[in-house]
Amino acid sequence: MDFKLIILCLLFWSCGDQNKTVEKDPLLDSWEEVTKASEGTTVHFMMWQGSPVVNEYINNYVIPTLKKEHNIDLQIVSGQGPEIVQMVMGEKEAGVKNSQIDIVWINGETFFQLKKIEGLWGPFVQKLPNATYINFDDPHISIDFQQSIEGMESPWGMSQFALIYDSLEVPNPPRNLEALEQYIKAKPGTFTISNDFSGMSLLKSFLAELSGSPNGLDGPFDAEKYEVLSKKLWEYINRNKKYFWKEGVTFPKEHSKMDQMFASGELSISFGFSEGAIEEKVNRGLYPKSTRAYAWENGTVLNSNYIGIVHNAPNKAGALQVINFLISPEAQLTKADPNGMDANPVLDLQKLPEAWRKKFEELPKRKYGAELSELSKNAIQEPAPEYMIKLYDDFRTFVIEK
Amino acid sequence: MTISEPLSLKNKASNIGFIFFGLIGILPFVAAFVYALLYSFGLVGAANSGFTTEFWISTWQSGAFIKSLVYSTVVAGTSIFISVSIALWLTLKFRKELEHPILAFAMYLPLAIPGIVAAFFTFQLLAKAGFFSRIAYAFGWITEARQFPDLVNDPYAIGIIATFISIVTPFLLLLFLNVYKNERVDELAQLSQSLGANKQQTVWRVSLPVVLNKTWTLIGLYFIFLLGAYEVPLILGQESPQMLSVLIIREIKQYDLSRLSEGYVVAVIYTVIVTTAAVLLFSRKNDVKHEG
Amino acid sequence: MSSMKANWKFFFLAALVILVVFPFAYLLLLSMASEWRFPELWPAYFGMRNWEQVVSSETGLISSFLVSTGISFSVATMSTFIGFFISRGIAYHPYKRTITLLTYFPYILAPVVFAACLSYFFLKLGLFGKPVGVFVAQFMVAFPYALIFFSSFWGEKTKSYEELVATLGGNQLQAFRKVLLPIAKNMLIICFFQTFLISWFEYGLTSIIGVGKVQTLTIKVFLFIKESNFYYGALSCCLLILPPVLLLYINKRYVFNKLI
Repeated sequence: MDFKLIILCLLFWSCGDQNKTVEKDPLLDSWEEVTKASEGTTVHFMMWQGSPVVNEYINNYVIPTLKKEHNIDLQIVSGQGPEIVQMVMGEKEAGVKNSQIDIVWINGETFFQLKKIEGLWGPFVQKLPNATYINFDDPHISIDFQQSIEGMESPWGMSQFALIYDSLEVPNPPRNLEALEQYIKAKPGTFTISNDFSGMSLLKSFLAELSGSPNGLDGPFDAEKYEVLSKKLWEYINRNKKYFWKEGVTFPKEHSKMDQMFASGELSISFGFSEGAIEEKVNRGLYPKSTRAYAWENGTVLNSNYIGIVHNAPNKAGALQVINFLISPEAQLTKADPNGMDANPVLDLQKLPEAWRKKFEELPKRKYGAELSELSKNAIQEPAPEYMIKLYDDFRTFVIEK
Repeated sequence: MTISEPLSLKNKASNIGFIFFGLIGILPFVAAFVYALLYSFGLVGAANSGFTTEFWISTWQSGAFIKSLVYSTVVAGTSIFISVSIALWLTLKFRKELEHPILAFAMYLPLAIPGIVAAFFTFQLLAKAGFFSRIAYAFGWITEARQFPDLVNDPYAIGIIATFISIVTPFLLLLFLNVYKNERVDELAQLSQSLGANKQQTVWRVSLPVVLNKTWTLIGLYFIFLLGAYEVPLILGQESPQMLSVLIIREIKQYDLSRLSEGYVVAVIYTVIVTTAAVLLFSRKNDVKHEG
Repeated sequence: MSSMKANWKFFFLAALVILVVFPFAYLLLLSMASEWRFPELWPAYFGMRNWEQVVSSETGLISSFLVSTGISFSVATMSTFIGFFISRGIAYHPYKRTITLLTYFPYILAPVVFAACLSYFFLKLGLFGKPVGVFVAQFMVAFPYALIFFSSFWGEKTKSYEELVATLGGNQLQAFRKVLLPIAKNMLIICFFQTFLISWFEYGLTSIIGVGKVQTLTIKVFLFIKESNFYYGALSCCLLILPPVLLLYINKRYVFNKLI
């Protein structure tokens, strides 16, 4: 066996990929050319894979349909928030011209960090034919965590954060911090905060309540305000955490674990985006039929989630085609099915052609979950991304490690 | 001389061999270490801006690292101690019975289970809605899932230790049985008894020392492995303190880009500790004998 | 008295066997279950549904199985053969002990930490997120293992064989083909399976160097755990432990390594 040969082979194997020339900028092409260029290609989509319904929608609807209608292979890569940022940053540091990924599923705080390191490609949203169905005058769509999206990310879904409870077991769920304190003292061990995106979103609601109004956190990040409010928040949690799940000694890492614990009755209150995401779980029999969702009195965050294209995406034409498909009436309709992913469309029904509008209006209503329209009376805007990043850090420092 | 030609050929081949060994066996290790070291001092990394010792100081001051080191050492040490005890006990008590074909096969079965599967299985069994909790419910010992005791993600690392034991004990058992046979401990034991030692003395003075003496390097190696274990504490551990690998990866993958370096500080310290341990372990007398 | 003692031993050992078999049975059961809510002792659905879905739908478990097999097979083949030849040079080298000690370094470091510190270089080389990158990463761990594994093979005996071949006019190649490889056959097979399993069970390196793009079975197990999909998780666990059990059945020695 010739070792030199093996080493040489390995070297060639590894370098071969970088020699590919970067394609020309598809932003300058007509949509026909984008379509042509994207055919027969592969698009890598880095997304959070923590929810069975989302995975089901992607694996059994989006991937096969894209293949059939556009002859594009969509490959899912698991990763969210910090993993995406680090991936892009790592590639920048190493000077990688062709990224591992093309598109990413993000929201505000990741958008913020990606913008900071110039990790996104665009603006591209206006290029997408289906963008005409989106109402960019809606601030919940065009403003992401207090930042204007400026065409650098395309909205994909919109949802409100909600708390969930079993209405038979808890007839009167707490709707503010004071009520929550009384509630967990009466039912110790049945409440916790997951140390992830969902948990931090709940903390934002708490922080907003401590600020005294639903608009208390609006506007750019205010370090002073944060210091004052977060101090109160950690004091509140530390004071009460002995009544939390596992006496507040530890917190669940993944939100999906909270769902499981809610299902088994270990927790009596849980929460989540997509207005609590209970419909499908009740239908599957995971949650009792008496499960209900509600918003915090002072409001829970209402936001959109987005898809961006990384600056060094090797297949930008394919990326555009995939995103255009994801915001098509067809894909959004399937996504909105209460028995499926049950996600609110980002399309403006008034802008849709008559036939599509009808289809959306004829969608069955949720049987258990609350509709966004009623819940959004108690909605707050997403505060600036720095709040989230700070909360992550400080929740660990001042609560978990205390 | 005809010998000179094959000799030079041999040298050439072995040189290529050494280059390859250096390239694959040593270079990556050194590269990884140097990179982590540079990162920890802020010399590389997009969010860093030049040499600083601030990350070393902040890592030291936060205390999370020390806690994690102590926690990992205690968890790994306890697991190894219990595993060695069980395996030794089984060896001394059952070595004859374990030669039965069914048992001999069964002993090997656990080796087919990797850490990640073992952790998943432990979780399924010991969680509050897990298998044992259901049995407890069926017997009426508990009426709600939340009454079941904390066995996973718990403060005493019960889940982690149980899983470590279930992974390590089978290996050690097979190892001890092998040594027992190869070193003819039985004959030694008989000899000592015929010289007037009683059963207790034979076990403590003869059998155990012989077996442990032959295997302590490997036991030490296992300890190092458990110290750096990742999958098992990731699934079964709690959020704080975390075992070393979990802590390092969390810090290297955190949101706050300006603090990634702290993860590399821990990585550097961990690497130094582990390599020092390895040097101590292997540079003394017997290099690990392997009998294929 | 003695019969009572024998009885005690019998029951204890029977319990031990049950303890060992239990995880396999439980994981298989869980893989065929669905809608198994607390506090039920038996799942509401029990059958082949999950297994059928794996074949038909896009969960990607079949392709993960193939990716895992491909990578592990390559890692095992390369590290066994290259390890065999290079270990000879090391065994005959005057600094044998130092080199052997160096061999242990990449092997004792937690793979996930090793990978995290190496990922920059893999990115630089364009190996990130590719099966070949995962292959190289796993090879870096499996190869030292093979070196250590074969170190006991080389010694005075093999040296004298090689000298014998040389005096009989044979060259190096012949020494390998006609003498050394045949003697080492058994060890080669064992080393192949050991390194196969090192790669097959690998999670840390794969998760980081593969960035979730190279979805081996261990990566899949973790994804399912993350989304709390325990039935698919159990199913992928079954796929993961099937090959080693099969190997065990063929020959116990293929799976047990005294080394690690």
